[in-house]
Amino acid sequence: MRISTYAMHQTALETLLRQQSTLSRTQEQIATGKRLLSPADDPAAAVHIAELERALAESAQFARNSDMAEARLSLTETALANAGETLQRVRELVVQANTGTMDDDSRALIASEVKELLNELLDIANRKDANGEYLFAGYSTLNQPFVRTAAGIAYVGDQGVRMLQIGPAMRVPDGQSGQRVFVDVPAGNGSFVTAANPGNTGSGVIDAGVIADRTAWVPGDYTLRFTSPTTWEVVDAASTVVASGTYTSGAAIEFNGARVTVTGAPEAGDAFTISRAGSKDMFSMVEDVLAALQAPIDTPADRAQVTTRLGAALTQIDKAIDHLLAVRGEVGSRLSSIERAADARADLDLQITQSLSELRDLDYAEAVSRMNRQLVGLEAAQLSYVRISQLSLFDYL
Amino acid sequence: MADLMSNSVSALLAFQRAIAVTGHNIANVNTPGYSRQRAEFISRGGQPSGDGYVGDGVRIATVRRLYDDLVAAQVRTTASSYRNLEIFASYAERLSNLLGDTDTGLTATLQKFVNAVHGVADAPTSIPARQVLLSEAESLRDRLQYMDARLRDLETQIESRIRSEATEITAIAKSIAQLNREIEAESVRTGQPPNDLLDQRDRLIDELSERLNVTVVPSGRAMVSVFVGTGQPLVLGAEAATLSTRPDVFDRTRSIMVIETENGASDITHALTGGSLGGLLAFRSELLDPARNAIGRIAVALTEVVNEQHRAGMDLTGALGGDFFGIGSVEVLARASNTGSASVTVTRSDISALTEHDYILRRTATGWDLRRADTGEAIALTGAGTAADPFVAEGLSIVVGGTAAAGDEFLIRPTRDAVRGFEVLIQNPEQIAAAAPIRTTADPGNLGTGTISAGVVTDRNHPQLLAPVTIEFLSPTTYSINGSGSYTYTPGAPIEVNGWRVEISGAPETGDRFTVGSNANGAGDNRNALLLADALRGPVLNGGTTSLDSAATRLTGNVATATRQAQAGRDAQKIVHDDNLATRDSLSGVNLDEEAANLLRFQQAYQAAAQMIQVASTLFDALLAATRR
Repeated sequence: MRISTYAMHQTALETLLRQQSTLSRTQEQIATGKRLLSPADDPAAAVHIAELERALAESAQFARNSDMAEARLSLTETALANAGETLQRVRELVVQANTGTMDDDSRALIASEVKELLNELLDIANRKDANGEYLFAGYSTLNQPFVRTAAGIAYVGDQGVRMLQIGPAMRVPDGQSGQRVFVDVPAGNGSFVTAANPGNTGSGVIDAGVIADRTAWVPGDYTLRFTSPTTWEVVDAASTVVASGTYTSGAAIEFNGARVTVTGAPEAGDAFTISRAGSKDMFSMVEDVLAALQAPIDTPADRAQVTTRLGAALTQIDKAIDHLLAVRGEVGSRLSSIERAADARADLDLQITQSLSELRDLDYAEAVSRMNRQLVGLEAAQLSYVRISQLSLFDYL
Repeated sequence: MADLMSNSVSALLAFQRAIAVTGHNIANVNTPGYSRQRAEFISRGGQPSGDGYVGDGVRIATVRRLYDDLVAAQVRTTASSYRNLEIFASYAERLSNLLGDTDTGLTATLQKFVNAVHGVADAPTSIPARQVLLSEAESLRDRLQYMDARLRDLETQIESRIRSEATEITAIAKSIAQLNREIEAESVRTGQPPNDLLDQRDRLIDELSERLNVTVVPSGRAMVSVFVGTGQPLVLGAEAATLSTRPDVFDRTRSIMVIETENGASDITHALTGGSLGGLLAFRSELLDPARNAIGRIAVALTEVVNEQHRAGMDLTGALGGDFFGIGSVEVLARASNTGSASVTVTRSDISALTEHDYILRRTATGWDLRRADTGEAIALTGAGTAADPFVAEGLSIVVGGTAAAGDEFLIRPTRDAVRGFEVLIQNPEQIAAAAPIRTTADPGNLGTGTISAGVVTDRNHPQLLAPVTIEFLSPTTYSINGSGSYTYTPGAPIEVNGWRVEISGAPETGDRFTVGSNANGAGDNRNALLLADALRGPVLNGGTTSLDSAATRLTGNVATATRQAQAGRDAQKIVHDDNLATRDSLSGVNLDEEAANLLRFQQAYQAAAQMIQVASTLFDALLAATRR
């Protein structure tokens, strides 16, 4: 084909320019380390990259959320452990005080320590986290949750539990409300609470009792009355006698599936209440102990009263310690589920990073060898252009 | 002898001309649009003699331009397509890079905002975390507005390029008409083709074809007519029309293309294709406008989703959440030539039904008619168009006031200008409503195992939303609300009161109480922040199938794909175009070696002809010498 001189130069020039532009593109790829310089280079990959990067950013946020939840749950766990230790000490003191040989002075000494322990427990319940938020206040984290009132220590927080998002479809509570931890402790043995009537004149002492037969148990408020020092009867809320019998100190008294034991010598007319268990807060438990320790003991009846109260308190504190352990178990299981979520997240992140790298990152070996090839091509084109453009018939005229 | 002499002289003259033509070719080796010329030799008819015809030398019949109309037409067609795709691709690349930056793109910015919402959920009482959310909201606003501003910049650039293209096209058309006149006159006067004028005209037509598709038809003796669009005459022989821009009948800030002839002006915006002008118009209507609408729609949906959820929450001060973002309203543009007094108000009523299209609302003889602005597809309207019963279509509520004349039209752009009004309305970090407005409590004295859920707000506008409500169990299977009524209890079934919903499950006992009330002081509550984060990730667009970030990635993907296609088309067209150029150049281009050879050839011939005069002279001298004796 006939070629015009102008077109020959033009074509050669355009080829050179094109080679230069592909070379500069390769150079830019190498300099940035990115395979795609513009979304238009590979639209599908560009969209995928944006999605993967979003997923990574989201995952990083979930990791931060997890850290936050973990930090608070650890604080919660420590607080629960401390509360458990405090109650354990109270329990020891109760056991110590409940021996018959205690005189009033020793009891007063124990009472003052229990008082300190109560303050300690209150402190723990009002602990704050690093942000200055109360740990056990539900949603009302800026207000002190446990306050002293005329009627004792009251919970003024709420029952809210904050959840944090630690995975695309996974949320964990980052704590427990004060209600759940310190207030909602099952009272008595969990089914009923026993107490001696304050007007009792005998030395009868009632224990906390147990449910002997769960199926026969009819929840309700009952009163165990001694019609004489040797006979008893149990009446329900409607004063209907549901059981009666002859009293022997230390023998089991059973009615409606429940079993209680009275020891000592009750007088006729003495009564013990066996009422439905609701919940009881830990502070009032300790306050009960305190009150029992501070009560004067003048008569055997007084001693029986104190012994009954301390015995009930002991059962109660055991319940509270169990309760704290249960709550700690919940917290622990949350911590481990955070850890599992972190493992899953790490796996996913790795996969995403790998896919992202495949889509986005440059294969340097390939790019460098491509650049060399392009360099050779450009040099050859330049050289051949110079040679060819020198050829002219006019040189020979 | 005289014959021999005149024979030689004719040859001398002819070769001189031929050398001149060669010289002209050499001189124009770098002239764009120049077609090489060739002196066409023709032998002069011989004189009859008894010995037969003896030739009488040579003459130049014409100086021919080596040019093929068919090849030229092909070059123009491909030049037009190539320029069209080149312009389209170059603008598309800019758009695609703007939208696609993975560090600053919409998807990344949106995710940062969602992360900041989680940050508030992690520590609802933390003012710094709330401040971060506000800053992220502001960067989201800045990002959207930056994108929108860049798109509007592009629009302005295209607008001014369209205007200058129109001016240039008109100037070229005038030059072509002028050349037509000169060429016609020269051809008539000399009977020979005015090659260099023809080249100039062809060159101008080439330039024109780079700006838009043209059809060239010969007319008169040597004139051509040029038609554009769907057959509108731009040049008719010696007459040229004017291609100009006029403000759009709806939006006076943008131009339409108008061709003005003696018969008046007509809008040919949609008929113009090919070339740089076609590329600009196509980019504007196919990529730029949809991209602005799409970004606007994302901003609208974002605003709606965030505001809706934010208003359902409670802030640190115990007040219900307000609007988080503000957004530009629906643009309604009346046609300049409307004769009625009608006014049209359009609001967005359903985000999930909202589209990325523009619409034209037209008053017909009997009612109103809604069509898509780009395709003209009819859209069904429900309602009466009154404030009480507005027209509803495509997620819009349309209220028509005043009196319209038949034929009056309104352009409705649901999302085009939304981003310009996009703003962050929350200024104070405490106003971020991270908490739910209500909280539920189980009475500590409850004896049963009943538990109450945290509660969900179903109607944030309920006047009694925050009023305390007590649910008390009258028996294990019935409950009263605020001391009245007796409702049957089903564990886990929703209980809806005062715009909220809770579920009680387990086995409550007689006398057990649950209370629901205001969450004032619930500073540590993050329920609404979590719901907000969920809502931001939820499918809210396209009938509840597309989330905000898939809408953003979809936009990036669409623009990138269109760019890729345009680039591929451009590269393919470039090859075809180069091929056609090579074909044309192989016929019309000057080759210096060829001209050098021609030069040698004609020089030698010239020298030979000169030698012939010498021969004639010698012969003559011989004859004279013979007769002198």
